Amino acid sequence: MKHLLLILIYKGVMPLFLKFIGVKITPKKPLQPNMQYIIVANHNSHIDTMALMSSIPLKDLNRTHPVAAATYFGKNSWLAVLSKLFVNTILIKRSEEGGESTALDTLGKFLSKGHSLIIFPEGSRGEPEKMQAFRKGIGVLLQRYPHIPYIPVYIQGTGKILPKGERLIVPYDAIVHFGQPTFCKAQTVEAIVVNVKNEILRLKN
Amino acid sequence: MHFEHLTSIHQMLLVILGVLVFATVLFLIWKKIKPGAQVDELMTRTKSWWVMASIFAIAALVHPLISFVAFGFLSFAALRELSSISKNARIEDRSVIFWAYLAIPIQYFFAYMGWMLPFLIFIPVFMFTWIPFILVLKGHTQDIARSMSVIPTHLMLTVYSLSHLAYLLSLSIADGGRGLLLYVVFLTEMNDVFQFTWGKLLGRHKIIEKISPNKTWEGFIGGLLSTVLAAILLKFLTPFTTYEAIGAGLLIACTGFVGDIIVSAIKRDFGLKDTGTVIKGHGGILDRMDSLIISAPFFFYYVYLLHIVR
Repeated sequence: MKHLLLILIYKGVMPLFLKFIGVKITPKKPLQPNMQYIIVANHNSHIDTMALMSSIPLKDLNRTHPVAAATYFGKNSWLAVLSKLFVNTILIKRSEEGGESTALDTLGKFLSKGHSLIIFPEGSRGEPEKMQAFRKGIGVLLQRYPHIPYIPVYIQGTGKILPKGERLIVPYDAIVHFGQPTFCKAQTVEAIVVNVKNEILRLKN
Repeated sequence: MHFEHLTSIHQMLLVILGVLVFATVLFLIWKKIKPGAQVDELMTRTKSWWVMASIFAIAALVHPLISFVAFGFLSFAALRELSSISKNARIEDRSVIFWAYLAIPIQYFFAYMGWMLPFLIFIPVFMFTWIPFILVLKGHTQDIARSMSVIPTHLMLTVYSLSHLAYLLSLSIADGGRGLLLYVVFLTEMNDVFQFTWGKLLGRHKIIEKISPNKTWEGFIGGLLSTVLAAILLKFLTPFTTYEAIGAGLLIACTGFVGDIIVSAIKRDFGLKDTGTVIKGHGGILDRMDSLIISAPFFFYYVYLLHIVR
């Protein structure tokens, strides 16, 4: 039932809407079905999540979860239910809210089930078109699950369409560059984070 | 009567189809024989003609309203592209650009209804005031004068000018303006190709090297003469006499050239000529519409002055 709803949104309405407001996804079919991965992208807008979910193969939609901050989307129970239902999110506590270990356990549970994740390591949407420092959670996760590839994604232009703190959606040309599934070779958490960030920045050019 | 009406549209569609197939095959062969030849630009143009022709065919066979919606979307995509590549519009101008988008359905509504005066003044008078007014209300005064001039100009280039193509279909002319629409679009695009081809064959003397290094006097004059010839050959699409067709050919060749170099200059200013596009993988709509941006309104008023107001 939920899967059907997600298909209806992300394979029906959303692609048309994204095309209209000017978001382009490249390559056109960026992901193979029946794969497990962690999508890692820069983050400027709610549009990012919509665009990434629309790029997920139909079959995998209900087992792909954008990871979001509980303090933002769990502000009230309505928002939490809606984001779980319509965006398939997993809500976690940020580390500064004392959620580090429980958050990683929660995500680990989903990964062990074979589910995929969408993670924005910047933690929150920054200023339009500016990349912030990456948090180390993505490094910890990739270190714990080295057999799961990550997919770097560079998103350009969505910060103008719907920046943080704005409600009005304005069409602008934006583009979502998907990279190749990559296994991380680095050992330390810090090195993994640096690698991931470099892979994302490489897609910019 | 009904049958005759249908066949004339069918004839027109067959002519377009024939020309397009001919052009596509010609360019493919050209590329096969001389792989080094720069026919890629011509190929992309041909692709956009196919799109335009399909829109035209659907509109001609189903309902003219479709053309208005299609041209509206074309304006929308062009405005979106221009706002995205422009380094002159500020991020604070988002909500004002939203107003600019809202002008598109209104302008095309006026075109569809055939309300000449509202169509004429809505953008150059009303939006020209409304946009600066909203900008002032927003209160970001840094660089506000730049935004005040840039956003209305974007509207003029992408919405006002192209909406004249749609308005041709609202003119009270024998075939409902379809022939005229086909005539101006086809001749403008052909003029680009003629200028390009003559320039490749004979080009020596550059016109404005800094903006558009491929533009030569030989290409321009060769293109002009070929376009005039084509304008006479295709005058069955229009109510023109031979002399009027010659005038239309000259007008389209000159204004097409002007539109082409204006868009080239804008793109060069944004640093796009050398680096492809700011947003990789996007763009191209302005490239394909550049000559039409100026030739469409000029051709419209040419027809209007000669055949509507007497």
